[in-house]
Amino acid sequence: MNKFLRTLIPTDIAKGLSVTGKHFGQVFFTANRRKVPFHIVGEYPEVPAKVQPRYRGRLTLLKDEQGEIKCVCCLACEKICPTQVITIEKGKMEGRKMPFPVRYDFEMERCIFCEFCVESCGFDSIILNHQFELAAYNREDFSLGTKGTAQNMFELSPVGKYSVAED
Amino acid sequence: MPTPTLTQSIVITLIQCLLVVIFVFVVVPLTVFAERKVLGHLQMRLGSTRIASGHTGLSGFLNRGMWKMGKVPVLSYWRGIPGLLADVVKLIIKEDIIPDKADRFVFFLAPSISMVAAVVVFAAISFVPGTFFTFPTWFPLVGGLPVSGGIADINVGLLWILGVATVGVYGIVLAGWSSNSKYPLLGGLRSAAQMVSYEVPLALSLLAPVVLAASLNFTEMATRMAVGMPIWALVPQVIGFLLYLTCGFAETNRLPFDMPEAENELVAGFHTEYSGMKFGLFYLAEYINMTVVSALASAFFLGGPWLLPFGLQGLLNPYLPGFLSWFGEPHAIFFVAKIIFLLFTYIWVRGTIPRYRYDQIMAVGWKYLIPLALVNLLLAAAIRCFAV
Repeated sequence: MNKFLRTLIPTDIAKGLSVTGKHFGQVFFTANRRKVPFHIVGEYPEVPAKVQPRYRGRLTLLKDEQGEIKCVCCLACEKICPTQVITIEKGKMEGRKMPFPVRYDFEMERCIFCEFCVESCGFDSIILNHQFELAAYNREDFSLGTKGTAQNMFELSPVGKYSVAED
Repeated sequence: MPTPTLTQSIVITLIQCLLVVIFVFVVVPLTVFAERKVLGHLQMRLGSTRIASGHTGLSGFLNRGMWKMGKVPVLSYWRGIPGLLADVVKLIIKEDIIPDKADRFVFFLAPSISMVAAVVVFAAISFVPGTFFTFPTWFPLVGGLPVSGGIADINVGLLWILGVATVGVYGIVLAGWSSNSKYPLLGGLRSAAQMVSYEVPLALSLLAPVVLAASLNFTEMATRMAVGMPIWALVPQVIGFLLYLTCGFAETNRLPFDMPEAENELVAGFHTEYSGMKFGLFYLAEYINMTVVSALASAFFLGGPWLLPFGLQGLLNPYLPGFLSWFGEPHAIFFVAKIIFLLFTYIWVRGTIPRYRYDQIMAVGWKYLIPLALVNLLLAAAIRCFAV
């Protein structure tokens, strides 16, 4: 009898319709106005996509407060790299005690983003940043170094403006 | 009022046909677009937000404009609309493939039957009782003449609608048969069984308004159901509305009753072998059928061109203050608003209720809907006998 009544009076269907109707109203009326939107999808690329803080992006050389490269050419990263994408040429600079990398080449097309180089670095002079838009139009653009303006290892890549991380 | 000559009435009818075609071809693409957006919103997504295209041509130009607008941090609702135009152009210029072993004549005929059966129903649907608008006197040939709310307000309007709408099943069955392929054939057979089963409760649920209003004329039925019913008529109207809507979902092959094109069992059902504008005609016919079912439901159960549903308008009208009398009169805009709400309900139900199995559909149709419709008819007859 109970089952018969439940079949006759569509309360379950009404319950389902109320749930989806609530979702519709929330998204439809607040999608453009609310600071924390109800819809659960991202709006990449109009809104930068959030990545996790542990995300392993492109290798980046860090600089200290004086604007000098922190790297001291201990070659630990070059030795531990499984795919041998890092090439460092040791050199000297005026007014600096520690060795200075004249060349620090990074072939991104072969990099596997394992982060061994960052772990092996004793001076905290390199990190993997939070950038996942690593595409480029030319193969040469994947050969990064300390020289150049467009593809160097100090800044984000020119296409990578839409990814952020909370940390 | 001058009596129109033959030429003038033909011209007026053609203008009415044009208006109906414009209405249909505005509502249908917007429904297709709304389907994507509303389904997205129901699932807490945003729906389609940009058109998929390269960097060339009109769509590319629009695309680049959208990317420039991308500096606005949150997407706007209306950005998916140019995709509609792209869809239509794609359907028209697409290659039209006919299978080798197909029956070419029937294969060609089936989509046109579907389409014609869907559109012709609009002849008997009147959007507002009486005069829709009057031509100004300076208008050539038909100046000063009134245009009625429906194309042909015939005395057997409901019979015409039900009869012609049933012809639509031939389109689907013939499409399934003439494709000479297994999936379309199964889809067509299922469709035949389902639509024949659901014709019965559909007609029975529409019989309650017929009994209550004692007429088959579309305008008269809509008028009596909206403003001429006692309070007791509310019960058979509400039950009849739910019954009719359920059967309408089944008749138009929409989810949760989409047996003919069961995407997870039969590839695309009866239109698997169709492509190009032939497929487009099936697609159009489905959405026009939805509009027709919504129009009938809103006319017979939701008060048609009056504001309040279920005959409440007739109960309210004596107490309506004078300055609100605009709300007590029939307007085509109320009718269209109800149609649009019911079209939204179609998508709402589609996004909520899971599909029925084939035997469950048959069980629901024969074991529950037909007895319920008969009880409802009995109730309506009793109210007709004692209360009206």
